[in-house]
Amino acid sequence: MKPSEGLVIAYAKGIKPYQSSAWRITIIFSALVTVIIGTLLLGMYRQLINEQEFQLDQHLNAEKTRYQQMALTLDRHSFATQVRSADPKVALIVWRNSLDLIGSLSMIPKDMPMLPEKREFPVFKGGADKLHILTGGMVMTRYGPVLVATRVDQLGTLIDKFTNAAITALMLTVVLTLALGYLFSKAILRRLVQYNRLSEQVEQGQYSTRLPVSWRQDEFDMLAQQFNRVLDTLEKNLAAVRGVTDNIAHDLRTPLSHLRIGLEQLPEKSEEELAEGCAIITEELDHCLATFDAMLSLTRIEEGQQTLELQSLSLQHICRDLFEMAEVMAEYNGQSLKLMAGEEFSVSGDKYLLFQALFNLVDNAIKYSGEGATIIISQNRNVISIQDNGPGIPAGSRDKVFERLVRLDPSRHHKGTGLGLSMVKAILSRHNAKIALMDNQPGLKVQITF
Amino acid sequence: MKILMVEDDATTIEYVVKGFIEQGHNIETATDGHQGLLLATSMKYDLIILDRMLPQLDGLKLLAALRATGSQTPVLILSALSHVDERVKGLRAGGDDYMTKPFAFSELLVRAEKLMQRGESQPMVTNLNVGPLGIELLTRKVTLDGQEILLQPKEFQLLKYLMEHENQVISRTLLFEAVWDYHFDPRTNVIDVHIAKLRRKFEELGHGELIETVRGAGYRLRQGH
Repeated sequence: MKPSEGLVIAYAKGIKPYQSSAWRITIIFSALVTVIIGTLLLGMYRQLINEQEFQLDQHLNAEKTRYQQMALTLDRHSFATQVRSADPKVALIVWRNSLDLIGSLSMIPKDMPMLPEKREFPVFKGGADKLHILTGGMVMTRYGPVLVATRVDQLGTLIDKFTNAAITALMLTVVLTLALGYLFSKAILRRLVQYNRLSEQVEQGQYSTRLPVSWRQDEFDMLAQQFNRVLDTLEKNLAAVRGVTDNIAHDLRTPLSHLRIGLEQLPEKSEEELAEGCAIITEELDHCLATFDAMLSLTRIEEGQQTLELQSLSLQHICRDLFEMAEVMAEYNGQSLKLMAGEEFSVSGDKYLLFQALFNLVDNAIKYSGEGATIIISQNRNVISIQDNGPGIPAGSRDKVFERLVRLDPSRHHKGTGLGLSMVKAILSRHNAKIALMDNQPGLKVQITF
Repeated sequence: MKILMVEDDATTIEYVVKGFIEQGHNIETATDGHQGLLLATSMKYDLIILDRMLPQLDGLKLLAALRATGSQTPVLILSALSHVDERVKGLRAGGDDYMTKPFAFSELLVRAEKLMQRGESQPMVTNLNVGPLGIELLTRKVTLDGQEILLQPKEFQLLKYLMEHENQVISRTLLFEAVWDYHFDPRTNVIDVHIAKLRRKFEELGHGELIETVRGAGYRLRQGH
């Protein structure tokens, strides 16, 4: 197993939900929620305490005012009765009447402040809940100091209850978010692991593998669709490369085997034949090199690696050059070549490449339209067309001719690399020009639109 | 003429050196970029033939350094990097011509001689004569055995080029470049067709042998045997 394979498998199979990014997000999210809820609860807790404090102050001050008023309006005896009969649930009142203590407590703690200042103090009582916490302060009345206090331990209980509830709520939040996050990351991981397993299959050469796409159309489905599209292109390109390889084998092997034969025969040749033999071999070799160069060039143009030397070009001028160069060739083949120039048009392009492409098309027309044919190069504004009245190309094969190394002539009778039209198409597409093959009835019409 | 060749491949050096010495030129060689630059800047040459991928100092850097010293010596770049943009790069860096490997010595020779003649003051040539063939450059009149023949403009240019390089094998690429302002390998018989027409006109006057086809190399204009 290659090291990279090992790594992929380890990643696909060895990853645990808690190592995944979904889990990391869950933890961050959970912590965030806990902090937010905690802050809220703390705020509520503070509010609660402040409110209680306020209530207490209100209560104690109300009692203070009440007893001061009472002392002013009642006589000493009635005041004592009122103090004695005070409801301990509302307030505990103790009045020091000369030496006696009248009220619900048997003592007054030392150093009690005057209301509204107050202080907490413990009180022991018989019974189950022996210790009470009271809060209170002194009030000066007409009949002497009175202690006004109230129980605050219920308040403590309330706060305890609140704290317990808050802690429970926080714990629940943490546990629930973590559990959900775990399940969530596990679900995501299941899909990722599946994708991983399938892409591993692709890596091992099963290019027909495709990722499943669910009805949900979520981001994973988008990813899967994109991945599938990449695989489609990859498969198509691989098939093309395979085709090219086969054709290369044919197109380079034939001249190479001729070379080999020629070289083997050289020593047997007589002095006079030797030069001729060498020349033939050189020609074969040049043909191989030309095919090889054309393939490289085509790849570079198709892949966009070759930078175009852009300049402003007159289509009329190019067509005139084409005509001038090809006229003699047509004449030599017993054909007539005509030029029909229309309205001028300028394009920005690579002069040599563009001319090469157009020349290739004219050259093809001359090569394949047969003796006596008429070939017309015409240009009007942004359209150049090259038409002949030769045998043409059957409709079904018209797309095929642009493929690399495809030659419709199975015997490969005419010398060529089989890359010409692929090159034409690549060059034209780099110039954003469109090429169309049409029926000229009879013959072929090639139309290029810039 | 004195030539410097900067090249690291021994086979190529041997092939080229042998060829130039046979042609009566004086050629020195350097096998790496540093040595090449040292020689190029310290001695006077009529031409430098420069490889691009050299040990120690890249060919284009050598060229840039040479041009930076103000040297105007013609430089012919001979490289395995064959792409059009590589060619453009080479010419932009200060090269005067660009040839790709593999190459035929005959073509290298023609290109080298053209570059070496560039510096010399050319006597004004108005007539070219090879054997029975004569052309007047100003009037574009062509005569064969004293009889005038009519040529198309392209045919005239081809013939002129062949006559200027009498007895030399001229490759199709060179002829193509000489006649047309396009640089690409046409991979067609466009040159052959033009030559065939030219030859037919000569044949009518009994001089078909003037233009000789050299298989695997190109064409040669020769005086009648």
